Amino acid sequence: MLKIDHLSKRYGETMAVDDLDFEVTPGVVTGFLGPNGSGKSTTMRVIIGLDRPTHGRATINGKTYDEFKAPLREVGALLDAKALDPSRSARNHLRALATANRIPIKRVDEVLEFVGVASVAHKKVGGFSLGMSQRLGIASALLGDPGILLFDEPVNGLDPEGIRWIRDFFRSLAKEGRTVFVSSHLMSEMAVSADQIIVIGRGKFITSGTVAELTANATGTVYVRCADATRLGEVLGALEGVCEPANEQGLNVSGLSSDQVGEAALSAGIAIYELTPQRASLEDVFMSLTADSLEYGHHDAGVAP
Amino acid sequence: MSDSPTLVDTTRSEMLKFRTVRATFIGLATLVVLTIGLAVLITIVIRTNWNQRSLADKLAFDPVATSLAGIFFAQFAVGVMGARFITAEYASGAIRTTLTAVPRRVHLVLAKAIVLLVTFFVVSEAVVFAAFITGQSIYRSGHLPSVSLADSTVLRAVIMAGIYLTLLTLIGFGLGLILRTTSVTISVYVTILLIIPIIVNFLPSSWQDHITKYLPSNLGESMLSQTPSVRSFAWGTAALLLAIYCAVIVAVGAVTLVRRDA
Repeated sequence: MLKIDHLSKRYGETMAVDDLDFEVTPGVVTGFLGPNGSGKSTTMRVIIGLDRPTHGRATINGKTYDEFKAPLREVGALLDAKALDPSRSARNHLRALATANRIPIKRVDEVLEFVGVASVAHKKVGGFSLGMSQRLGIASALLGDPGILLFDEPVNGLDPEGIRWIRDFFRSLAKEGRTVFVSSHLMSEMAVSADQIIVIGRGKFITSGTVAELTANATGTVYVRCADATRLGEVLGALEGVCEPANEQGLNVSGLSSDQVGEAALSAGIAIYELTPQRASLEDVFMSLTADSLEYGHHDAGVAP
Repeated sequence: MSDSPTLVDTTRSEMLKFRTVRATFIGLATLVVLTIGLAVLITIVIRTNWNQRSLADKLAFDPVATSLAGIFFAQFAVGVMGARFITAEYASGAIRTTLTAVPRRVHLVLAKAIVLLVTFFVVSEAVVFAAFITGQSIYRSGHLPSVSLADSTVLRAVIMAGIYLTLLTLIGFGLGLILRTTSVTISVYVTILLIIPIIVNFLPSSWQDHITKYLPSNLGESMLSQTPSVRSFAWGTAALLLAIYCAVIVAVGAVTLVRRDA
């Protein structure tokens, strides 16, 4: 059980993580979603003891990371795949980690084989592509056969085949009863790979739940195509619906249900050709949830400073 | 857990890291070439020019110090190697992986210090003995005054030369822990060994007498000297003082590592 307990981390003036408080349960893949700069990496760095929290703490089965003598047997983490000495071979890199945690050396060859890096195990890691480094990072995370696994933006640098492989891999780790905590700034990725999602923005907790729960609460839009879009727009506007023209005959209506739109059109005597409720995607939910908390706003393109 | 890793495991891991990068062997080769190579070069030059020397020069001739003159240059090689053992990890980001495996940071400092202490003590002693023996045989071949290791003060001076290099390796390492970047660490290290003695030279001589003998480079000279002067420490005091500097710098480095985010 991974527990984030009223955790805050300040870097100078910046509050990178602001009173995060949640638990990550074993047996499912938990996504950690937030825009870039929202504090995901900082939270992970605190979990594995690289950074000291300003307030609160992160515990693994009740202990902080630095209380473990052989932490790699408790937690496997892949935070920065390129954080390696480039002049050492992949195998020697893992051997050093294994030795420090009293993990049998034969396990090194097992994990190298598993992630498909065995053939280049004797090559210097400085020459590895990002994808290969990611695989080596996964190997080092698995080295101690830990019950808790943390991955920070793991799909970066992977090809489509690798992305699919890693999704299946997360699922199988979770199925074995492990805690799998995966961060991403891509909601589309989380929608397919995570069972449970925790959303943060600007270091603060925003919401959590399953993909279905997160999208259910969000109001979707209604697409309507009719004989007189302009007049229907006026009618719906009076009912406090917000209409955006979708095409010559069509409108995207938000704030009203499809039933309300249909009834309004009937009473106004406007023929309807098409009426479709549009479910909010996780992406829409994410955008609306984090709109206020983006670290950098989007500026109009083409305006050079 | 009964099979919990100990400091021994951390040290073995660090030793494995130390010997699995080529930079280690390039650095150690530099140490060998500088110390022994310069011993050969300097002693041959002295042998060649011996007859041009004045009597006073001949009487002041120190066969031990001249054969070990290479350590003046070797001290920079060992300092850089000691520093890089930690700063290279910061440069690549590997320190984060290291601390993930060994979150007990004081343990990590101890393990790295043990690796450096053992390796550089063995290599430095081997190298200074080789330099000394080579130098003396070159002097003997030219019928110059030479000394032997049977003389206990000579033996002591040669052993101290190896200890001096070992301690300076650890000073480089400690500075690296505090400063984190290779370039800054080397600048500070060179400043301590080369620049500060020059600055002290410009101070009033009454001040110099009090300051100079405490400088690491002067402590080194005192450790090697067979005839202590009133203006410097005896060899034992000098060695102890340098060891204390070394321990303090590494301890400050350990505290820095523990306190700061990686």
